Amino acid sequence: MAGLGQLERKVMDVLWDSMDEPLTGRQVADRLPDRAYTTVLTILERLRHKHLVERTAAGKVHRFAAVASRETYMAELMVEALGSARDRSAVLVRFAETVSAREASVLREALEALSEGSDGSST
Amino acid sequence: MSLYIAAALLSAIAFVLVGPMSVRLARVPWVTQSPRAAVALWQSVGLSAALATMGAGLCVAVERFHAGFIGGVSDLFDGLVDGHPLSGLGLPDALGLTLAADLGVVVLGVAISVIVRTAKARARHRRLLSLVSTDEPRPSGTVMLDHASAVAYCLPGLRPRIVISKGTMGLLGSDELAAVVAHERGHAIERHGLVMLPLTGVADLFRWVPYARVAPKAVAGLLEMAADDHAARHHDPRSLARALVSMATSSITPSCAFAIASGAVPQRVHRLLNEGRSSKRVACLAALAAGAVLAIPLSLMVAL
Repeated sequence: MAGLGQLERKVMDVLWDSMDEPLTGRQVADRLPDRAYTTVLTILERLRHKHLVERTAAGKVHRFAAVASRETYMAELMVEALGSARDRSAVLVRFAETVSAREASVLREALEALSEGSDGSST
Repeated sequence: MSLYIAAALLSAIAFVLVGPMSVRLARVPWVTQSPRAAVALWQSVGLSAALATMGAGLCVAVERFHAGFIGGVSDLFDGLVDGHPLSGLGLPDALGLTLAADLGVVVLGVAISVIVRTAKARARHRRLLSLVSTDEPRPSGTVMLDHASAVAYCLPGLRPRIVISKGTMGLLGSDELAAVVAHERGHAIERHGLVMLPLTGVADLFRWVPYARVAPKAVAGLLEMAADDHAARHHDPRSLARALVSMATSSITPSCAFAIASGAVPQRVHRLLNEGRSSKRVACLAALAAGAVLAIPLSLMVAL
């Protein structure tokens, strides 16, 4: 499974490097020299099934492109992580939510008291 | 007549549990001294209220058998099996039965839909993570995102993922980073995602019930404290407190952030800096209360 995940990532990297121009399966395979053409096609189909890759037909040739850029997916993850998404709690448990400006100043004071305290104990 | 009284009692119990008691429980400060037991208490309040409500409906529905609660319910099932469940059913019986059955069906339906929706959202998140995460050096057992904002979180699931961003690596010292990773590992090991799951469903469906409004937030805060305790077992709690303050104040976005700001972070920092963080006595009390809350409606139903 981990191997397949790695391979999906490599294929996506190839497609992301060529966002302006959709690639044929052959072109993708050429950029992954250590992988067989049929393997690359299988991976492309898998990614298409997961709605990460879209296929367009120009004549007899099928071309593949990433549905969205790497940055878009990164942004999606960060929106969920920094989260105003309403059902965020269903997706993940986050270390620290953002605090208000007033809470922030109170916390900074607590932090200063903390470092003074630890300085005092160490000397 | 006695089952009608039981129905009234059970309804009253359910009402008190999801209303005044939930509001009260969300405000008491001592529960933070034993977050795990307090989470169990919240769970038993919700479960007990659901059982009491269904029990009340069933009481009304089986009164006509004059066989007590257990006997009446078994008569009702006999009727179901024989294929004439509704024979001799009056208006109150039908209403009671409908209430009990509807609540059961609705709760089951919501449970399934929440589980499916959550599983889908997590699967997508996990898939995107595996595509955009970087292979750069990072604490073992974590996934790293190449992003300047400081985030650290646990994506629950069969194999939970602990995610940190490059911004977090830059913001925190090594002690602090280790404490944060231990905190997230606490969420993963204790399966906090599973605890939140039913509460998320309840919050969506019964928004007019105080329990559904206050429980998810209260339990989320308690789970953070439970994870803090987990981290504090192997790391200096002060490192975790420092990390918490740095992370919480690293991304203040003036206008929109207030909406999601909650009291949990200051409370957690305060808690980490105090020695008397956890108390066995509070844990015992909360566990006893959790048992009692469940036992009251159950014993009422069995006794009749």
